[in-house]
Amino acid sequence: MLKRDRWLTWIFVTPAVLLVAVLMYYPMIGTVIESLYSTSFINPTPKFVGLAVYQKIFGSADFAQIVRNSIVWTVAVVVLQNVFGFLCALLLNQKLPGQGLMRSLVLLPWVLPGVVAAILWRFMYDPQLGLINSFLISAGFGDQGLAWLADSSTAMAAAVIAAVWKGFPFSTVVFLAALQNVEAEQIEAAKMDGASATRRLWHVVLPSMKEVIAINFILTTILTFNYFDMIWVLTRGGPQNSTHIFPTKIYELGFGQFRFGEAAGYGVVSIVVLALLITLYFLTQRGSRRAAA
Amino acid sequence: MTPSRTHRLLLLLLQLGLCVVILLPFFWMVSVSLKPAAEPFAIPARLWPENPTFENYLTAFRPEFRTYFLNSVVVSLSTVVITVTLALFAAYSFTRTQMRLLSILMVLVIVAQMFPASAIIIPIYKMMKAADLLNTYTSLILAYVTVTLPVAIWMLRGFLARLPVALEEAAAIDGAGPFKIFFLIILPLCKPGIVATAVFVLIVTWQEFLFALSFTSTKEMRTLPVGMNDFIGQYGIRYGELMASSVLISVPVIAIFFLLQRQFVAGLTAGAVKG
Repeated sequence: MLKRDRWLTWIFVTPAVLLVAVLMYYPMIGTVIESLYSTSFINPTPKFVGLAVYQKIFGSADFAQIVRNSIVWTVAVVVLQNVFGFLCALLLNQKLPGQGLMRSLVLLPWVLPGVVAAILWRFMYDPQLGLINSFLISAGFGDQGLAWLADSSTAMAAAVIAAVWKGFPFSTVVFLAALQNVEAEQIEAAKMDGASATRRLWHVVLPSMKEVIAINFILTTILTFNYFDMIWVLTRGGPQNSTHIFPTKIYELGFGQFRFGEAAGYGVVSIVVLALLITLYFLTQRGSRRAAA
Repeated sequence: MTPSRTHRLLLLLLQLGLCVVILLPFFWMVSVSLKPAAEPFAIPARLWPENPTFENYLTAFRPEFRTYFLNSVVVSLSTVVITVTLALFAAYSFTRTQMRLLSILMVLVIVAQMFPASAIIIPIYKMMKAADLLNTYTSLILAYVTVTLPVAIWMLRGFLARLPVALEEAAAIDGAGPFKIFFLIILPLCKPGIVATAVFVLIVTWQEFLFALSFTSTKEMRTLPVGMNDFIGQYGIRYGELMASSVLISVPVIAIFFLLQRQFVAGLTAGAVKG
């Protein structure tokens, strides 16, 4: 937009800014206020209780478990998804036959609607009818299927695997684009110096991708921490809370049990966690810009 | 065989393995959807149906499913049109006008997408209730436009920033007004960016679950993801039908993705790699 048309700027940005302010930032304040009141199914009129909700939440065994689960879930999904995603990007950057087709196919799990992916994996894990148990039984591992999602010792791992399958394509595509940006000259020079493929990867490719890798790690951390669909459809947080993370717990407390105050308390905690992650994201990005300049 | 040949063979095998990891669940979904009602219960499970049939698709395509499908189409298409239009206007202003307040606003808008929807769902639900909008298309479209706007602005900003301002200046010297410049110069040049953004918004909206689950309460207003989730409860083990519905839901987005893939991946990675 040219200087003479500057008056249009505000008309153009207002609808977007207004929507985000009214439907995202204002409700965030609403969540904070909500957390200071107590409501329950029996007493639907909100009653001001100050920080009592937080006292109740922080003292509960549930909270400790949700924090533990959220950390396990987020760290496991993010690390596996990005490591696997990076290895796939390396593989798809090798100029092998069929590479073009593979680059399209790899995005398929990511395009598949989340609820469909979750239902599909629920079925894969089915104790009697699932493909996974069928394979294990025919391969000779016992003669009875395991109830992966109904057992609190395996449910989280099962959910993580499903989420990694759904999410790794995103990392692959981002890393593949970054790999193609690595200067061919630098790699050639390293080759001339007799550096092996592993050394080239470690000393030339990885350092030049440092920023993309860091930003992608933080971005996927944010998305995974917020991810509701997969766990809700697979397990609803069960069995015995073993897969409950912040988003599923908030939904269950709010819409399942009408304990709005507690749900909002969990909401505020997750907003604080996200605010820290977002700050980290911007610091990393600024750092990478400064390095580029 | 030379070492480099074995090396390539190994890589090809790995690629094949990756292909299986990606496609096996899809293959299983299609296979089960084609199995006659009794066959999914065969133990051990058969990879491919003995007598493939479309009967699951016929049962899956029942009136409720058609309603869900229609709801999803209405909500998704409205969201795509509104989001892309508003995002284009906003991104254009954000990239063309340099002002401190404006860049702060832009950062605040883009950051908004990173906060969890679950953390704001109760206040939004109460707002919609107060405005008497629960269980309407409007409530869903409002929510979807808001949550997709930040990422749409982020993607379009990348495209717009690369268009040289000289073009606009030249047009202005020839006497073109701001709207003429926007619609006749900017819009056509941004087409790849618009397509990429529209596909992204469609993929996100088509599968949105949390808002639809909270805002819709009757069968008439459910969208596909929520309808599917209801199916699990109602038809617990009728997997053939469930998988047939899954295929029907996935086909539209997968088809659009394959048609517009090149532009889509370019748009996605331009934003993500450039930051």
